[in-house]
Amino acid sequence: MENDPILRIEDIKKAYRAREILKGISLSISKGELKVLIGPSGGGKSTLLQCINFLVMPDGGDVWLEGRKVNPHRKRELYGYRQQVGMIFQDFNLFDHLSALQNVQIALLRVKGMDKKSARERAVAELERVGLGKHIDHYPAQLSGGQKQRVSIARALAMDPKVMLLDEPTSALDPELIGEVLAVIKNLVANGMTMIMATHQISFSSAFATEIIFMEDGLIVEQGPPSKILSSAECARTKEFCSKIYDLHGEGN
Amino acid sequence: MDEWQFFQSQVFPSLMKGFKVSISLILPSAFLGVCIGIWAGSMRVYGSTWLRKLVDAYVAIFRGTPLVVQLFFWYFGLPHVGIYLSPFAASVVGFSLCSGAYQSEYVRGALLSIKKGQMLAAQALGFSKWQMLRSVILPQALRRALPGCGNEIIYLIKYSSLAYMVTCIEMTGEAKILASHYFKYTEVFLAVGAFYLVLVSLAGWFLHHLEGRLSIPGFEHHGK
Ligand SMILES: Nc1ncnc2c1ncn2[C@@H]1O[C@H](COP(=O)(O)OP(=O)(O)OP(=O)(O)O)[C@@H](O)[C@H]1O
Ligand SMILES: [Mg+2]
Repeated sequence: MENDPILRIEDIKKAYRAREILKGISLSISKGELKVLIGPSGGGKSTLLQCINFLVMPDGGDVWLEGRKVNPHRKRELYGYRQQVGMIFQDFNLFDHLSALQNVQIALLRVKGMDKKSARERAVAELERVGLGKHIDHYPAQLSGGQKQRVSIARALAMDPKVMLLDEPTSALDPELIGEVLAVIKNLVANGMTMIMATHQISFSSAFATEIIFMEDGLIVEQGPPSKILSSAECARTKEFCSKIYDLHGEGN
Repeated sequence: MDEWQFFQSQVFPSLMKGFKVSISLILPSAFLGVCIGIWAGSMRVYGSTWLRKLVDAYVAIFRGTPLVVQLFFWYFGLPHVGIYLSPFAASVVGFSLCSGAYQSEYVRGALLSIKKGQMLAAQALGFSKWQMLRSVILPQALRRALPGCGNEIIYLIKYSSLAYMVTCIEMTGEAKILASHYFKYTEVFLAVGAFYLVLVSLAGWFLHHLEGRLSIPGFEHHGK
């Protein structure tokens, strides 16, 4: 049963007014895989990731977690499902009024109902794991972008997610801070975390992704292992896009 | 010397008596006003459509009519439907509801200023709407709303003087009785003015202190 998908989505559709943003997206991911979403701006990557945990309610399609279909209209079920799907945002979205430690432990206390002592221990452990053991009492306003993103990763990890969705986790960062966040994500890959990530970090993806998915205009144009997508894509659009981001981000990771 | 005697033997005792009544009007009204404001502000932003409309209507009515008219309604109007409020109760009800309407404006503005991303993050962690409001949004919004809400409390201190219009004899009421009895309007009302000034300054100091206590890096108010 190794290869049973942890998460499977089928025919996800989303339109804003008459504009179709997602035109029927299906994909599945198995334990320990990292699937990277690439594609031009406005192609629907963020919308897709947010549809997967129903932050954006899809107009149609289904989501299955470990073989069980999620019914997003049943609130209890939805909240329970979201606890198992971690999400990382481009601009971190830390809770501004809480210290790093409190950011990580608040969901443990309020959502999981953990007692204070274990929540604190867990939060400290997660912050240490992302290299922020010395910053647990700092507030978001006192952290750099890279540190904020690492806090947000610790916050998601503390919930013991089965899958993580990462929406361009490094694209709001100054170049010299990208490395520290990628190092943390690398670590997750090494520890077998299952992830879907939108990113334009091509060299990172080519080294660590199980599969790269090229998305444009709400459709998956092409998908396959990095070696194939990056060097011998079948579709002309994929090739063109890949060569463009190579020029932009290829060097110096 | 005559004046001083008059002040000591007549003005001060009456004003102190009124002062106590004023305080007993202001404290519960300010507290209830803030509670109503937080609830109403939250409902105006996060409530269901009909609830939002209902609360909007409440705010429109209580901000749109003079407070004296509202007080008259609670004290002189309600008996027509068989509800009798004491002057004190009518005043507290009137002040709380009026203050709550204003407070809800500050709370609503502050709620709307919270970045949407944080709500997405909270939802993504599995927070319910109510947990998110309580743990993420309100703690930030209330910090932002504090200066405005404090201002409203200071207004409340001053408009509590309207209670005497419905025969709840607080500080201004005592002063009016005293002044017309001795026909010493200037002296008495100057003294009342000073009492209010002290009250307002105390409240201002307390609110400032509270702002300092609640201040968090990234939430400082400008000019600090
Ligand atoms: N709430 C919304 N209302 C209307 N249109 C929206 C909304 N959210 C997104 N869109 C539109 O949907 C399209 C897809 O947006 P999305 O953010 O998913 O793209 P993306 O692939 O993530 O792009 P980027 O690389 O710039 O992040 C865009 O054209 C955007 O304008
Ligand atoms: Mg995006």
